[in-house]
Amino acid sequence: MTLPVAAQVHFVPMTRYELPAVVVEHRQRATNQYELILHAPPIAARAAPGQFVMLRPMRTHAPLWRRPYSILRANPDKGVFSVFYSVQSAFTELLALKPIGSTVQTLGPLGSYFVPVRTARRHILVAGGVGAPPLYFFASRLMPTLQAGEQILILAGARRRDLLVGLDEFRALGAEVRIATDDGSHGYKGYVTDLLQHVLETDPTDAAVYACGPNRMLQVVAHICLERGAPCQVSLDAPMPCGMGVCLGCAVKVATPDGGVWYKRACVEGPVFRAEELVWD
Amino acid sequence: MGLTPDMQAALGRLTLRNPIMVAAGTFGYGVEYRDLVDLSELGAVVTRSLTLTPRMGNPPPRVAETPAGMLNAIGLQNDGVDAFIIETLPRLREAGATVIASVAGETLEEYVQVAAKLSRAEGVAALELNLSCPNQARGGMEFGVQPELTAQVVAAVRQATDLPLIAKLSPNGGEIAPAAQAAVAAGAEAICLINTLLGVAVDAHRRQFRLASKVGGLSGPAVKPIAQYHLWRVRQSLPDTPLIGVGGVSSAEDAIEFILLGAHAVQIGTANYVQPTIALEIVQGLRDYLTTHGFPSVDAIRGLVQ
Ligand SMILES: Cc1cc2nc3c(=O)[nH]c(=O)nc-3n(C[C@H](O)[C@H](O)[C@H](O)COP(=O)(O)OP(=O)(O)OC[C@H]3O[C@@H](n4cnc5c(N)ncnc54)[C@H](O)[C@@H]3O)c2cc1C
Ligand SMILES: Cc1cc2nc3c(=O)[nH]c(=O)nc-3n(C[C@H](O)[C@H](O)[C@H](O)COP(=O)(O)O)c2cc1C
Ligand code: FES
Repeated sequence: MTLPVAAQVHFVPMTRYELPAVVVEHRQRATNQYELILHAPPIAARAAPGQFVMLRPMRTHAPLWRRPYSILRANPDKGVFSVFYSVQSAFTELLALKPIGSTVQTLGPLGSYFVPVRTARRHILVAGGVGAPPLYFFASRLMPTLQAGEQILILAGARRRDLLVGLDEFRALGAEVRIATDDGSHGYKGYVTDLLQHVLETDPTDAAVYACGPNRMLQVVAHICLERGAPCQVSLDAPMPCGMGVCLGCAVKVATPDGGVWYKRACVEGPVFRAEELVWD
Repeated sequence: MGLTPDMQAALGRLTLRNPIMVAAGTFGYGVEYRDLVDLSELGAVVTRSLTLTPRMGNPPPRVAETPAGMLNAIGLQNDGVDAFIIETLPRLREAGATVIASVAGETLEEYVQVAAKLSRAEGVAALELNLSCPNQARGGMEFGVQPELTAQVVAAVRQATDLPLIAKLSPNGGEIAPAAQAAVAAGAEAICLINTLLGVAVDAHRRQFRLASKVGGLSGPAVKPIAQYHLWRVRQSLPDTPLIGVGGVSSAEDAIEFILLGAHAVQIGTANYVQPTIALEIVQGLRDYLTTHGFPSVDAIRGLVQ
């Protein structure tokens, strides 16, 4: 008997921890942007780039859900990891209030992660707005493992200059950074996907693409890569009530090996998916 | 302090180690929580609703956060009852869980066939008939809000199984008591209430519904007063039937309120997402409450608020 795809992946295999993480630092990074550094040794030890944590700063009924945040960096030696967020609405307003020494209920590390494509020579990381943190984490872990002739290229896009995230970090790693803004306030005027198109024009065969940002951007990235034959991994955004694989609220449509479609969970099988697996509506 | 209180909950033929269960669809198949929650400490694990064949569920977005609650239109995504019996049930048994299987169907025959398969499997303590899922265009809801249809399904399933039978009812038809009475008359041994309430949510920025299927089921703290109202009303019309209260429970105090209103057991739903260890915290909180106030058992507080 053959079971549907979902049946084979229920039994969440990874190691995750539910614990009160202590705020060790809470840095304002731009007008509305913060880096929250949490002490949680088991999470710091196991976090892989692309994975996320579910945070609950306060026991409120509204906002009700925890929210997912990608891991920006993790230092297993110090037992700390951090997330980067921009204040948008009630939840992030509450999060921004957390003082040093307080605790944030945390579940993680969760989900899938970016896997380096070892046959590629150019690793192209496409970051849309607040999608930069997991790619920064990925770049920082990938950089020391690069062989001679391999390189990391960051394509960062946002609507405006002030919504670009993490440029200094990426540059500090020694990666080449190219920038696009919708309004032309910084770098190329237009979409970051135009930059990708351009970069893959010359020779797509030596490239691998890793992307995180708004789903509409990811759809275009996936499309370009599939067309050019470049391997591509995208980290999707989805509403996540639980983040731990039980509610099925974060459904993502995927193609099954037998030619059908089924829903996978962005929080367990994702958030990072191989582009060829996804079915965009 | 006195002795440790008696936490047992007796629901007809079904005796649970304590009255705290996790609600259908909110705890996955149960096994997903094994690393975070000792399943053998729960009164029972109610599985997500099982159908005869795998169901893909509704298109996303399927969930939306609302004030103190959420809307869902998952559409009963599940791998089907066979996959559950082969893949999941052994793992639940291994984890020491008391398993209540939730049965769903689009037709009376489907309910009967799913129930029959589950009663032949080893390790199912009871069946809960999901007569109330508001997401189904054809199935669930119609059965649960009409007393005659409720009675037909319960009677048909009753023929197909010897397992204790729980009828889970919907608040969307107005008063629940008529359907509850019909279910009991047809052979249900306990009534579980409430399932989610119909609702919609609109995205003002995009000028569209926030759920792809437009209508969803509301759950979470926002529904607690409604769930408690229905529990109290049905308690009045069915004074001797075991009742399972569900809707908006997110603390031990919430659970105690349901028991005070006459619930034999309480289910935790949406709160599992927010705090994965909440069900066990509620078990402990209930035990502490009984101890602190000198009650010998859960039974001793049931129905104290009339
Ligand atoms: C896997 C994953 C990883 C994530 N990682 C990060 C991360 O690293 N950093 C991060 O900051 N976020 C991240 N997010 C998003 C994050 O979980 C929250 O959704 C985000 O912080 C918004 O939270 P909030 O509660 O403040 O806003 P909510 O209350 O959720 O705000 C409502 C949403 O509506 C939108 N909205 C509000 N007002 C308007 C308006 N006027 N017009 C249009 N839209 C509007 C906003 O975009 C906002 O997202 C991630 C999400 C996922 C799924
Ligand atoms: C995402 C989600 C899925 C659900 N799936 C089911 C289901 O499959 N069968 C069922 O009988 N009830 C289902 N329910 C309803 C719950 O079991 C419960 O009756 C309801 O959510 C009210 O309780 P709460 O406020 O504690 O969540 C679901 C609820 C949610 C939020
Ligand atoms: S967020 Fe609940 S299953 Fe993914």
